[in-house]
Amino acid sequence: MLLRRIYQFMMIYGLGVLCLLALKMVADLSDYVIPGLDTLWHTFREVAWRYTLDVWDTLRVAMIGQVLSIGLALLVGIVGRQATWFGSFIKVAAYNVQAYPIVAIAPIIFILLGDGFLSRLLIAAMICYFPLLLSVVGIMSQPIPDIEHFYRQTGRMRWQLEVKIRAFENLSKLTTVIVGSATLAMAGTIVAEFIAAGAGIGYSIRIALYQSDLAKILVALFMIGITLSVYQGVLERAGHWVKQVWSG
Amino acid sequence: MQRNFPWCSPGAIGLLVLLFCLLRLDVGVSWAEQAVAYRLKWLINMSTVGDVYAKEKGLFAARGLAVDLRAGGPERDAIRELELGHAHFGVASADQVIHALAKGSPVVVLAQLFQANPLQWIYFKDRVRIDALADLKGKTIGVTFGKNDEIIMRTLLARADIGDRDVRLYSVRLDYTPFFSGRADLWPVYINSQGVEIGQRLTAAGESIGFFEPEAHGVRFVANSVVTSERLLAEQPELVERFMSALLAGWRGALDPANAAEAVALVRRYDQDTASEVLQAQLTATRPLVQPMDGPPVGHIDIEAWQQTEAMMRRYGQIDRPVNVAERLRR
Repeated sequence: MLLRRIYQFMMIYGLGVLCLLALKMVADLSDYVIPGLDTLWHTFREVAWRYTLDVWDTLRVAMIGQVLSIGLALLVGIVGRQATWFGSFIKVAAYNVQAYPIVAIAPIIFILLGDGFLSRLLIAAMICYFPLLLSVVGIMSQPIPDIEHFYRQTGRMRWQLEVKIRAFENLSKLTTVIVGSATLAMAGTIVAEFIAAGAGIGYSIRIALYQSDLAKILVALFMIGITLSVYQGVLERAGHWVKQVWSG
Repeated sequence: MQRNFPWCSPGAIGLLVLLFCLLRLDVGVSWAEQAVAYRLKWLINMSTVGDVYAKEKGLFAARGLAVDLRAGGPERDAIRELELGHAHFGVASADQVIHALAKGSPVVVLAQLFQANPLQWIYFKDRVRIDALADLKGKTIGVTFGKNDEIIMRTLLARADIGDRDVRLYSVRLDYTPFFSGRADLWPVYINSQGVEIGQRLTAAGESIGFFEPEAHGVRFVANSVVTSERLLAEQPELVERFMSALLAGWRGALDPANAAEAVALVRRYDQDTASEVLQAQLTATRPLVQPMDGPPVGHIDIEAWQQTEAMMRRYGQIDRPVNVAERLRR
């Protein structure tokens, strides 16, 4: 599964680069507009290690942001699953917070928290939180009548058990959502770094953009893609492992 | 058998005539004026006053050109647009031009808009004192990594023999909080736009501010210039002549003190967030940068400054081979 993700990414990336090179040839464009293969290779050798460290830095923030989002989404999802006034209030509040585009809020975050780790973390968490919340609320609000009926009839149903039943029955869905949210967490962190941070691959992309260096941007995209593929593969594998352990 | 031709009905014929008239009117405009796309380097503000003046005063139109003045921004690159055919002319900084030449881009410089680079560093006089380059030692200096201010500052530091360990270069971002809060001692600004605006605000708040000017310490790094593609210049030299003649006339007109009020009003049509008084002060600050007293005419290309710019970029690894930029300057 992990290997498949990596070679699929390589194929997509390779196709993208081939399209660019075809455009370069057809329109007779210089290396300034679209870099040639030799420039790409030269740039790769020059910046690969530095960009790898940058991507790891970004991934570290994205992972923590994602864990925070999962925790928050589970919390809100569990509280909001109940058809009570408080449950409805939590859901409305959670949705409303998301009504503002993060890019518009980001400058305020940077002014208040500076351009360090916390700002990047907060933005990453905010970007990947909402899709997670929607899925968690959907899953947690959906009863599993066949199983829950028994516990209700025997008077043994507690909220913890209800959450466990619904989570277990929808574990594949939850795994898919969590794997998908990894992309959002990474994108959120990169956006934060691009806007104003002083570290990470988003920051390096911003510098490459200032230098009009598309080759560096393409190398950065490669590094991001390959790292994300591995991370998503690991998450998928972890999901399967959790299911196996839970199933006994 | 009688055939029915609905498109021959009087209503349909009338509609066709109306359509033809509308199209004819539209085509009439493009027949009379040649459409030209002009990509600026940044948003429309006082640094583009000559461009705005040329358009709004009909100087382009008088030469048969319908110029689409397109605002720039950090994600816009006029040189790329020239090569891709999305623009006929553009404004680019010298480092952009030299970067592009190093990568084989067929770009030609037609005119140098700023004779002095507007990039300077602002500082609080009560916190920092800078009389000589050596005074930069130990300071925290804001630079935009990857942009020309980084190269300029590194050149200045090298001239003063100040190593990387002797100063702290602070990554500049969107807001000025690090400067206002004292985390950075010097912050890069464009003296004719942000310099005026922030300077006025700080002075009104009772602060005493100063500006650190690289040119005063012998570093001449060329700023914005008008560029086009080699192909357009070769294939349509007459179009290039008409465009440049209108553009430079626009700059001369905008900088003429007699036209100051009008120039401010024209820029304000595009830059409505800046007060007229600020724009007025920005125009006053822009004038000596574009047309220095007893200096060369508007648009003059300072070959020596271009060569120094190339040498600086080479020294700091921004380009890996000489590009002989002087050969790409249209004198």
